[in-house]
Amino acid sequence: MGAPRTLAATLLRAAVRLVPDVSREWATAMLRELDFIEGDWAALFWALGSTTAILRHAAVVWRTWLFQNGNQEAGMNNTGKKALGVGLGILSALALVGCLFAGLRIVSILFPGLGLEHSGWAYWLAVMAIPEAIFVVATVLLWRKKGPVAAGILATGLAMALHIGVHFAMR
Amino acid sequence: MKLRLSPQTLLVLDAFLDRTEDWKYGYDLSRVTGLKSGTLYPILMRMAERKLLETKWEQAEPGKPPRHMYRFTPEGLRFARATVMAHMSGGLDQVALGLVPQGLVKI
Repeated sequence: MGAPRTLAATLLRAAVRLVPDVSREWATAMLRELDFIEGDWAALFWALGSTTAILRHAAVVWRTWLFQNGNQEAGMNNTGKKALGVGLGILSALALVGCLFAGLRIVSILFPGLGLEHSGWAYWLAVMAIPEAIFVVATVLLWRKKGPVAAGILATGLAMALHIGVHFAMR
Repeated sequence: MKLRLSPQTLLVLDAFLDRTEDWKYGYDLSRVTGLKSGTLYPILMRMAERKLLETKWEQAEPGKPPRHMYRFTPEGLRFARATVMAHMSGGLDQVALGLVPQGLVKI
């Protein structure tokens, strides 16, 4: 079994473990299909698409669960809703950074020849520049309709920028 | 109810209309339709949620774990035939106007 196929199986197994019960059957179905796909790279692309699909499906379930639970627990006043929105924004922003970082790691493992492992600019681009650009765009787009979520994203972006600023100031 | 019948959804409906009694696998559907898994599975999930598809697990080959299989429910078959016919005659409006059962139009 080649490295891309191993990675594909690992990715889908992780998805099966991670997703809620409603999505698990589908995640398992996608994982089982891997055995029938010829070609390691085809298997990896299958797994990447499948993982994206299953996480989107799970996200809908999680969001529904989150808001239903919140509403039941405390009558969900306005402040609570806003806090949830901000939390969701922060989580989304951190998830984006995590995904980009993981993506970079995967690429550096799959293509060691690129030398990304020791490339400072690649990490700078993937973990700072691209996320910050996305945060700015997302904040602008979401500000009117989903203000708290936009605020959460903005706060994360500012915290990251501050962190980097301090990092460079200390060097 | 909002109608969203994408070209990809129509491809999937069309693939299922070929030998409707047969159970079909995800990867085979992907090859037949040319859709990537990230596009195909959300369509399958929505169709199953709307009871247009029935699913089951079956051991396809000895020694290998069971696979998830799909085929139309009677309701799904009616919907697919009406939708594909409407699309072929350039009359998707028939679906939007409610000539196809209302609960089935949002895929």
